[in-house]
Amino acid sequence: MRWHSSSPRLSSALGIGITLLLCTAGTRATGAPLQHGTLELIAESQWIAPGHPFYLGLHFQLEKGWHIYWVNPGDSGEPPRVTWQLPAGLTPGPMEWPTPRRLSHSSIADFGYDDAVMLIVPMHAPTNLAVRESARLGAEVKVLICREICIPGKVQLTLTLPVKLRPPQPDPQTSGLFATARKSLPRPAPANWKFSVNEAKDSFDLTAVLGRQIKQAIFFPLAESQIQNAAPQKLVPLAAGFRLTLRKSDQLLKPIEQLKGVLVLTAGKAYLIDAPVGKAGAAKSHNGIGIRPAQSFQEEPKR
Amino acid sequence: MKRSPVYLMLGALVIFAAPLLVSAAKVGEAAPDFTTAASNGKTFHLSDYRGKFVVLEWHNNGCPYVGKHYKSGNMQRLQKQWTVRGVVWFTIISSAPGKQGYVTASEENAYLAKMQAAPTAALLDPTGEIGHHYDAKTSPQMVVINPQGIVIYDGAIDDRPTTDLSDIPVATNYVNLALEQAMAGKPVETAATRPYGCSVKYLGSAH
Repeated sequence: MRWHSSSPRLSSALGIGITLLLCTAGTRATGAPLQHGTLELIAESQWIAPGHPFYLGLHFQLEKGWHIYWVNPGDSGEPPRVTWQLPAGLTPGPMEWPTPRRLSHSSIADFGYDDAVMLIVPMHAPTNLAVRESARLGAEVKVLICREICIPGKVQLTLTLPVKLRPPQPDPQTSGLFATARKSLPRPAPANWKFSVNEAKDSFDLTAVLGRQIKQAIFFPLAESQIQNAAPQKLVPLAAGFRLTLRKSDQLLKPIEQLKGVLVLTAGKAYLIDAPVGKAGAAKSHNGIGIRPAQSFQEEPKR
Repeated sequence: MKRSPVYLMLGALVIFAAPLLVSAAKVGEAAPDFTTAASNGKTFHLSDYRGKFVVLEWHNNGCPYVGKHYKSGNMQRLQKQWTVRGVVWFTIISSAPGKQGYVTASEENAYLAKMQAAPTAALLDPTGEIGHHYDAKTSPQMVVINPQGIVIYDGAIDDRPTTDLSDIPVATNYVNLALEQAMAGKPVETAATRPYGCSVKYLGSAH
């Protein structure tokens, strides 16, 4: 059961109530207090089954003004890190990160989330899963929470789920949260969109051909130290897309072959892009052959 | 030598105007000069240290990433290890008044004594001028300057961007690598990295 602070029964028992619930949440979910927020581990399905993948969520709710970080935290900060304690055979897939927000001030720009966010983790359950009846899933989460100052936190979460042989069914109590979280994930760019990057001395010029003129776009790089996070991203609208000038990071001393990241067009429309990088001039001499379709990617970037 | 307050003010004005003319420090380029007061009451000019290796360490005593390196004694060890070999080590505090990490000279002196820190000096940069000259983004960001006055390393202290003390023994320390390689006459292999930590709490910064 999830804890809803609006529950009248709960509010009458507030105080010891919260502590009690954290201990007796039972098979559905556990939540833990963080400094300036809470974190709970939840499952999308009511039970798990051998041979059926399932999804877990790390649901952060933060006090006003506090934030946590994206997989690429930007200029400062650190993303949440999870160490799983799982029954033999269960393996976590790469974490799915919702589209971040730019947390910017003067010469420093960070990427992260405020208010509430859920990170989704796909889990693999093999057909020969050894556990019977129930599986105890543990996660030690290290998370940096910042406002003006930063506080490192560490919480231990556990969730016990029944193990059955029939395919898992969604849990109506958590399906809404998973649906909302999935809407906040960047989606693969449509296959007919074309992206290319020309490398100039001090910048990467990202050209996008999407079939319509675009006047607003922000790029979030998946890898650190490729672009200057705080630099303005200058956009030039083109007839069928746009060109975005991204200043190179001073820490980038070696050439890169791909520019991967999340492109946010208008509120809520975010796409994963992976564009090949060519030297300025090379694309011209090949008459635009440097432009290739964007590829979607699912893997968590190496940090 | 005693200087009149007017003289000092003029000096401060010149330093204040400098970032408008000079772009931020980059690896392979000349380290921007600075003149600033230290917590020990002395004034330091970077240009006085041509001929020596200089390490710049951005500091904020409330930042958990800085705390990792001071509570473990790692930063103090590095300061001692390199200053005995003739390296000049400046701890720089660019926190603005009222922000995390801001200290008066006497507070900093007490901190240095309590932590048994051993930099050449702790430089007070409450206006953020030196910080902006070097485009310092985090504490503890580290910069290494060679005897010719060229920036040869800029970035993180090591390859473990965490607040865990247990990471220190297994980390690769980039400052050690840069100094060892440069002193051996070799090029610095890893010359720029993402400087992890807390954002520098500059004047006017929001978070």
